[in-house]
Amino acid sequence: MLPQLVVSGLAQGVLYALVALSMTMVYRATTVVNFGHGDLVMGGAFVVYVLVVYAHLPYLLGGLLALTILFALGVGIHQGLMRRIMTGPHLAIAMMALAVGYGLRGGARVLWGREVLPFPRIFPDHAWMLGDVVVTSDNLIVSGTVLGLMAVLFVLFNVTRTGRLLQAVFQSQRGAALVGLNVDAVHRVMWGVGAALAALGGVLLAPITLLYPDMGVWVLVRGFAAMTLGGFGTLHGAVLGGLILGVVELVLGAYVSTAFIDISAYVVVIAVLLLRPDGLFGQQVVVRV
Amino acid sequence: MAFCHHTDEAINSAEVNMKTRTGFLTAVGLALLALALGAIPAGADSMQGITDTTIKIGNIGPYTGDASSYSALNYGPLAYFRYVNSQGGVHGRKFEIVAADDACKETTGIAAAKKLIHQDKVFMLLVQPCSGVAMATKPVVVEEGLPWIGVSANPKLTTPTVKNMFHVTYTGVYSGRAMARFALSKPNAKKVILVAHTNDWAKGYCDPATEYMKEHGVEPLMNLALERGSTDATAQSLRIKTANADFVLGCLYEAELAILLRDLHKYGVNVPVIGALGADFESTHKRVNNPAAVKNFYLPYQFKAPMGSPDMKKWEDMFVKFLEKGELPENGVPTNFYYFGLPTAIATVEAFKRAGPQPSREKFIAAMETFKDFDTGVLADKVNVTHDNHVGVQDMYAVGLNEQGKQTVYSAWGKPLL
Repeated sequence: MLPQLVVSGLAQGVLYALVALSMTMVYRATTVVNFGHGDLVMGGAFVVYVLVVYAHLPYLLGGLLALTILFALGVGIHQGLMRRIMTGPHLAIAMMALAVGYGLRGGARVLWGREVLPFPRIFPDHAWMLGDVVVTSDNLIVSGTVLGLMAVLFVLFNVTRTGRLLQAVFQSQRGAALVGLNVDAVHRVMWGVGAALAALGGVLLAPITLLYPDMGVWVLVRGFAAMTLGGFGTLHGAVLGGLILGVVELVLGAYVSTAFIDISAYVVVIAVLLLRPDGLFGQQVVVRV
Repeated sequence: MAFCHHTDEAINSAEVNMKTRTGFLTAVGLALLALALGAIPAGADSMQGITDTTIKIGNIGPYTGDASSYSALNYGPLAYFRYVNSQGGVHGRKFEIVAADDACKETTGIAAAKKLIHQDKVFMLLVQPCSGVAMATKPVVVEEGLPWIGVSANPKLTTPTVKNMFHVTYTGVYSGRAMARFALSKPNAKKVILVAHTNDWAKGYCDPATEYMKEHGVEPLMNLALERGSTDATAQSLRIKTANADFVLGCLYEAELAILLRDLHKYGVNVPVIGALGADFESTHKRVNNPAAVKNFYLPYQFKAPMGSPDMKKWEDMFVKFLEKGELPENGVPTNFYYFGLPTAIATVEAFKRAGPQPSREKFIAAMETFKDFDTGVLADKVNVTHDNHVGVQDMYAVGLNEQGKQTVYSAWGKPLL
């Protein structure tokens, strides 16, 4: 059973990793923890649902449009709401993020109530047996897409000039501004990219699960737990944290109690904060004064 | 003579005094008797909502809000009352149905019930699909003493027995027991696993199912949790696979039930699964969206015959004839909920017939308690109500797909209804 749990856990974990990565990118660029991020995932899922089910667009086109729409929404959230209060207290920024998330959720509830919606089957329904381990086409498509995107982001951040500029902003916004970088533009783009990556999570989730307006809650909790586990603010830590969390959930569920599946994200957050506050891959920041 | 006359007057006076005193004592005695019996408020209250030509009934339910799809449970009875009115009513009285919206919210529900009782002055309350709202309004209903016949599944509404409250549809207890009964009717089914949400709703089904199994010498092999909002049931599916279970009972909402079925199929676990009554058979099929994954899926079935059969078709025709456009689904085809609310109205009409031409609350309640093997023509079981038991129905069937993939109603494992 263990090999199957690991494979299935990793397949689940890549989605947590994607959410954690996009939250981390926004956090690193803007120092804002977006507590409405889970609702952006929900937003992406519902936008692709509308485009595919109501507008009858092909899934791929609908998915790309959903990413574009959520990118624009992310930019809009920054320009219209966040930018105005960025110099204010962190609590106000956090509350604004929360309010935006609730606003999106409320909008979805107005349109769909608390209905749980099935998405048409998009991915082929194949399963392969590797010994006793079942690997499905869902697993491969979702994991392949997310891992492929992560590879692109890795190259973008570490090899290209744009990536190095972004990393400069990640390390010190004031320093980046002093050397002439347009930090506000970076914030704008990162809010857009963060929302688009959240939308990708929703677009990939939609065909393999059921959609409902409150689905962003569990997404946020797991994304946050993955960030904490990997090390708050580290990009590779967010990814690895997501993968580990996916496996831990299933292993605890199978070997300890299925009641642990839903609380394991909270258990991870508590344990990490108590035992290793910087997470598995984070580094303690030492400030010389 | 004067004496005599005087004596006569005295006697007359004494007689008058005696009569007055006797009348006074009789009145006091009757009043004390009424108090001693703890009688339901008599007179106008007892006849509230009844005129020479009408019977006013409160039809309470979630006509608006997130749970408004449950208002179909209110429209089924409405159609039946209109049908009865078209036949002349009962004892010369026609039914006047007053709808009140509880929006499936406790506070709104209490206000709606009070409005029906005190402002609209209805004789009784019917339907009330949302269990939480029904529980919240129960103290009002008990205090006012007016008859209540509801469809909400919470057994605590009518157990222990409440003088004026009745169930003629299934409570969660009997739905749970029906799940277990169907599972154990499979030959050699011993390894039964329960998968449930960790909330009161799921316990309402799984606890009676466990009780039934224990009564029949079967201990559940495992109790697995699958929380509300879960999107994955890998761990549960693998544990079921490892345990080589004979049957799975899913006390789950429809969405999570669909996820369990999907993942069981994904991991090649070919085990029969019976869900709880809260899920709809066809809707679950749609959510799973994979015919291979629902081949071994069943749900308790509360009706006496398969949908579309002549026994049920007559009710469909009645709904279509007596309900207006906004009261039917958009496609015009009544869902199962329309049928499930229907017995409340059928029992109400029957009780009014039995209560006679001068009905009162007491006579109505007494009439309800005479129901013995009463066939509603809708439900799988016949209604039996006594003074000590106000839960009228218990037994039900199961619905699943037969080998040809056709929806089939079973009285037990492998025994389709003819």
